[in-house]
Amino acid sequence: MTSTTMAENTGSAATKVGVATSAAPFRLIRRGLVYLLLSIAAFISVFPFYWMIVGATNLSADVIRGKATLGGALFTNAATFFAQVDAPRIFFNSAFIAVVATALTLVISSLAGYGFEMFRSRVRERIFGLLLLLLSIPFAAMMVPLFVMFSQAKLVNTYVAVILPTVASIFIIFYFRQATKAFPTELRDAAKIDGLKEWQIFVFVYLPVMRSTYAAATIIVFMANWNNYLWPLIVLQTAENKTITLILSALTSAYTPDYGMILFGTVLATLPTLIIFFLLQRRFVEGMLGAVK
Amino acid sequence: MAQARLDRREQVTGWTFVAPALILLGLFMIYPIVWSLWMSFQVGKGMNLSFGGFANIMRLTKDPVFLRALGNTFTFFIVQVPIMIVLALLFAVALNDSTLKFRGLFRTAIFLPCVTSLIAYSTVFKSMFATDGIINEALMAVHLIGAPIGWFSDPFWAKVAIILAITWRWTGYNMIFYLAALQNIDRSIYEAARIDGVPAWARFRYLTIPMLKPVILFTTVISTIGTLQLFDEVYNFTAGNGGPSDSTITLSLYIYNLTFKFMPSFGYSATVSWVIVVVVGILSFMQFLIARDRRRSS
Amino acid sequence: MSHLTLKAVRKSYGSVEVIKGIDLAIKAKEFVVFVGPSGCGKSTLLRMIAGLEHISDGDLEIGGKRMNDVDPSKRGIAMVFQSYALYPHMTVRENMGFALRFAGVAKDQIARQVAEAARILALEPLLDRVPKELSGGQRQRVAIGRAIVRNPEVFLFDEPLSNLDAELRVHMRIEIARLHKELQTTMIYVTHDQVEAMTLADTIVVLRDGLVEQVGKPLELYDDPANQFVAGFIGSPRMNFMAAKVVEAGAGTVTVALTKQGNAHVTLPLTASPAIGSDVTLGVRPEHFGLAGAGDADLAVDVDVAEHLGATSYLYANTGTGEQLIIEREELRNETGKENLTVSVRAANSYLFDNSGQRLR
Repeated sequence: MTSTTMAENTGSAATKVGVATSAAPFRLIRRGLVYLLLSIAAFISVFPFYWMIVGATNLSADVIRGKATLGGALFTNAATFFAQVDAPRIFFNSAFIAVVATALTLVISSLAGYGFEMFRSRVRERIFGLLLLLLSIPFAAMMVPLFVMFSQAKLVNTYVAVILPTVASIFIIFYFRQATKAFPTELRDAAKIDGLKEWQIFVFVYLPVMRSTYAAATIIVFMANWNNYLWPLIVLQTAENKTITLILSALTSAYTPDYGMILFGTVLATLPTLIIFFLLQRRFVEGMLGAVK
Repeated sequence: MAQARLDRREQVTGWTFVAPALILLGLFMIYPIVWSLWMSFQVGKGMNLSFGGFANIMRLTKDPVFLRALGNTFTFFIVQVPIMIVLALLFAVALNDSTLKFRGLFRTAIFLPCVTSLIAYSTVFKSMFATDGIINEALMAVHLIGAPIGWFSDPFWAKVAIILAITWRWTGYNMIFYLAALQNIDRSIYEAARIDGVPAWARFRYLTIPMLKPVILFTTVISTIGTLQLFDEVYNFTAGNGGPSDSTITLSLYIYNLTFKFMPSFGYSATVSWVIVVVVGILSFMQFLIARDRRRSS
Repeated sequence: MSHLTLKAVRKSYGSVEVIKGIDLAIKAKEFVVFVGPSGCGKSTLLRMIAGLEHISDGDLEIGGKRMNDVDPSKRGIAMVFQSYALYPHMTVRENMGFALRFAGVAKDQIARQVAEAARILALEPLLDRVPKELSGGQRQRVAIGRAIVRNPEVFLFDEPLSNLDAELRVHMRIEIARLHKELQTTMIYVTHDQVEAMTLADTIVVLRDGLVEQVGKPLELYDDPANQFVAGFIGSPRMNFMAAKVVEAGAGTVTVALTKQGNAHVTLPLTASPAIGSDVTLGVRPEHFGLAGAGDADLAVDVDVAEHLGATSYLYANTGTGEQLIIEREELRNETGKENLTVSVRAANSYLFDNSGQRLR
């Protein structure tokens, strides 16, 4: 399809060779416009982060009055936040859920991705196709039965209830299967001849060879779990079990929210993901790219 | 090559590798989905359910809040997705130019919103959109508006605020997909086109767009699903009620309210959730058809 | 140093049969090359011997033991892959010792065996590098080294040189030949390159469509091909085939008329007696054409293109009937294109094939 478009296009443009060189001044203007556009986009993208940090140092009244300069209320906000929120407990909840869910997701989904790609059979291909279809079913369609299931199992308000449904992620299975396509099958053949069993091939050859895929997936899954909202909102009910995301949302929903304090909490909640992002930025982008290829 | 038939031992190994995931998916995804399909034909409050046939579907057509939610969801979808896709494409193409200075910086900046949680960023936006807040102040300072906008008290502006917020959060995310796809395109194609005298706009229109079509389709479908599931931001902006007067309520929020806020109406909320499934299915299929048609006509 | 036997070996994927019954006896210490066009099943056959593909039917014996259902690592084989298949996250040393580690060999024993293999292949300076830091030829040597370390009864090579550039390929070819001499091990080598086959093999097995076309020493295949396929596959440039009709047969000779070469008559000393008037094919290798009058029949051809390589010259000739001939003569180095030329065919260096491609003798 692209080749026909190209052919038509080159045909009609062939007569205009030479016009391009006279467009040099336009190119400068265009270049300028590109920088302007990107600068505006970058400013808009980064400003809320600045706002969040500045807001954490201002009193709520200043925040909603639009004060965009550093204030002196950082410690007041921190004190209010720590007085209202059992921060160690809440951050432990968030971290525990995110870490355990991430570890389990990586293991289970990478096993499945490897299995689907390496051992192709007609039945498993059909199942995989079905899974891709399920990818488009919104969470809303399962949340009611899921909630009923977990309440019948008396697991509501537990970590297990938050973690279990997220562990087999179709998207991550798909991601690993895509990445496995780049894993050379001859490596598996060589390992077989070297006497490795299938699980040994997975652990000693596949895992180390694919470590950047795992790194990228770790970031994606960790962020998704750390930031997860709707399902924890449904299933975590007592204050001491809630995650930081839920607490922030609850604070924001107050009739007159204390924005200085809330933004202080938001900074704390965003810090882990921000740090991970800046540490592993290249991997993160690579990981996203891997999903497209 | 012909697909290799596996011997029995490899078949068993294959199943072993996929089994844990399949069991979990069966339990926590397929079973609930089937259950909710069954539930959608049940009527009654709480767990006292009885078979109601198409009663829930009839109720849908007469439920003003549902129709509101459906309308709002569509508004967000129709306005927000195209804006975001176009912006993401523009940024990606601009950033793909290797002679551009500060590429990495721009890319990081535009991508940065993706690392925030939906709740964190909607909290920040809520504080920025306050009536006397920074946004109104800035708009008044440049004389775009004369009086502050009541972002969360006016039905129209409430929608605008949500669309702006979502676009801020997701444009960079989509941009990364396009950047990835652009980097996979062989540079010599563009060099050949330049030697053939193809102007820049035509290179974009006739080379870049057709080659990005699969990724554009992919991101459009993903964004569609995301928009139709819109929940966190609206819940957080409006303290869970989709106000003012249901002007920002979305289908997901309505389902949540039906299930967990009011007297639980499991059957009916399941019906509403299947509306999303059907809409997502239809829209994805349409987008797929459009992408295919364009391919044929060009 | 085992002998290896294939008995009526078959392989099918569903209803598609790719190996259609192969019998083969490979002697200990023999260097056997499987050669054939792509898709002929040569790699599949090798992978069946390795245990990477299941054998659908028939028996595989290595050293007299049936190996059909034995794990690849316990067949006494080692394999060198086309892509080398080196573990990218391990050093050369770890790559070479990996199999032994899983066979439960003691650490110092592994170190000794790796050192020995490294010595044979002159890999000592590279032992602590990872594959990424090696050149193509070095990776190839490591892959071979990894095979040597296991001290196998049978070496399997799957197109090992096809990822190397031309110069390196010749170099590695010689290295593998030297290795065979030094190790005195049975080697089975798959390639689509008939030059590799001719130069390396004790015995060549020519495969086509999952069947053996001919087995023999390289020069036997060159001098005495069993059929038109082998005749065309072995030898470069390939043998010329000319359409012919039998005009006379019997009493130890067959005379054919070359229908597209001006009906020139060639009489071959053959005991076969094909029916008069039947269609046959005459095969003549490019290097077997003679100058005008020097053979048993003269052909007048037009030269389209002349390639002069210095030591020899290739002339691509046409007769206007669609039949193209390639003529190789070192004496014709001054020929240019578009000239009339007469060359001769010698009956003694010609081959006759019936219309099913079988050789008439």
